[in-house]
Amino acid sequence: MYYHNQTNNYENLMYIYLPIAEQPIHSLVIIGVGLIIGFIMGLVGVGGGFLLTPIMMFLGIPPPVAVASVANQLVAPSVSGVLSHWKRGNVDFKMGTVLLLGGVLGSSIGVILFNFLDKIGQLDLVIKLSYVIFLSLIGSMMFSESLRLILRKRKGKISRGKLHQHNWLHGLPFKTRFRKSKLYISVLLPILIGVIVGVLAAIMGIGGGFIIVPAMIYLLGMPTSLVVGTSLFQIIFVAANTTVLQASQNQTVDIVLATLLLLGSVAGVQIGAKFTNVLKGEHLRLILSTIIILVSLKILTELITIPSDLFSIVIRR
Amino acid sequence: MKFYLLIHILFCLIILSFNVKAQNQIVADLSQENVEISTDFLGAKILLFGAYDGRKGDDIIVVVTGPKGLATIQKKGNILGVWVNTKKVNYINAPKYLSISSNRDIDKILNQKTQKISEIGLNNLNVRIQPGKPINNEQEWREALTRNMLKSKLWSVNENSVSLIKNSLFRSYLSLPSNVTTGKFEVKILHYRNSKLISKETSNINVSKSGFSAEIYNIAQNYSTLYGILAVLLAVFIGWGTNLVFRKV
Repeated sequence: MYYHNQTNNYENLMYIYLPIAEQPIHSLVIIGVGLIIGFIMGLVGVGGGFLLTPIMMFLGIPPPVAVASVANQLVAPSVSGVLSHWKRGNVDFKMGTVLLLGGVLGSSIGVILFNFLDKIGQLDLVIKLSYVIFLSLIGSMMFSESLRLILRKRKGKISRGKLHQHNWLHGLPFKTRFRKSKLYISVLLPILIGVIVGVLAAIMGIGGGFIIVPAMIYLLGMPTSLVVGTSLFQIIFVAANTTVLQASQNQTVDIVLATLLLLGSVAGVQIGAKFTNVLKGEHLRLILSTIIILVSLKILTELITIPSDLFSIVIRR
Repeated sequence: MKFYLLIHILFCLIILSFNVKAQNQIVADLSQENVEISTDFLGAKILLFGAYDGRKGDDIIVVVTGPKGLATIQKKGNILGVWVNTKKVNYINAPKYLSISSNRDIDKILNQKTQKISEIGLNNLNVRIQPGKPINNEQEWREALTRNMLKSKLWSVNENSVSLIKNSLFRSYLSLPSNVTTGKFEVKILHYRNSKLISKETSNINVSKSGFSAEIYNIAQNYSTLYGILAVLLAVFIGWGTNLVFRKV
């Protein structure tokens, strides 16, 4: 042991070996990343996973471990967030339960699909393509909507209009009343949204907030005040289900990585939530949508530029 | 500290070298035979030292080979403007770690033919492709394997890294990167004179996980569902805890 390379560098003390990812990582970097992502989550209510998973992959964590561990860490800020929203009465538990039933089903399908894609060597591609498609779609929708709102407010026109628009989706059977959300719609619609979001959550390593929040506003017509709390409520269960399934099916959940991340993110969420009263919702959404669009463009560029090496290696443990 | 140790090693070696001189043998030792991957693991640097019965112009080559296993090489092709993995080749017995060290350029020690026969050099390894569909341009795939393993630092060639002292002692540092796999690593020390192998010695390094990190790995492998549930509960607990803390603040 004497001749071992013991440099006694204090910097080295900050490194921690991740048992599942099988590599050392700087613990402060991970906690810091968690803090920033948590801050965005607390501020806007969405945006935990879809930024976190690409950052983890960028830091060299293998994609399967990144996706599964980010799902694990999402549980903590979601629990913490729901508790705060619950106190303010901003959670529609009935709607949340319907959504999570779909979500649990969807994430189970997602984990199976994930496993299959990994086996045939196309996981990386599917993860990246999903990011490009969904991020650009949601990003541009959110961008134009918030920009329109800002411009309209500048002109001083505040139109009240209807609570929400009715379309063919509202004509589906099994209509149920959601008192809290002031909605009378078919349960099939939130279940279907839950399933789709669940599948994507499992494959992309996200809670699905950035998909489910716009879906709740634009497709279900839920009041904006309830959207964040309710989506966080269902994310807890989708993320928990994904974590347990990823752990039992693929052994890809790195509890050390997830814990470091969530230590940062839970604090970040609380700090972010304090700033929500300072910044306006539409301004936040404008900033977030710009980030979303930039991230999607970055991933798209990676997919379409010719790789420096056409060959890559996968070493099975 | 380091200085003392070096003196100590040198002293031992000198004594050793007297004993082995007659037998045309190599005597070698490692500063560390067991490498433990624990929570603070950042890779390891191991000192290999020993004595050999040498003459002027003799050479030493050290080959360290890790456990062998499946390595998949994927090749990307362009489909509708997107770069997608389209082809793959499986190498069934690729060493997951390989380091070749020598006292001078290997090409100067051995000619190409001898290198090939004695399987020394990255391109002379006996790695087999999983039987299946015939592969055209096998060379290209084999080069991709070498290139990617070198890039991951799991394979390395370190010419001029073995120090020879007075034709009787040798010393070399072996470095295991932080992404190294666990298992038994074989250390082969080869002594050449005029391109002929005159003696050889083997030794082992055992790399294993230990401590906290090993326990987590074992639970994740053997009690995977329980591990998943615990991971969720820990997250729930921390999430709930923070909420309590921040409510008071």
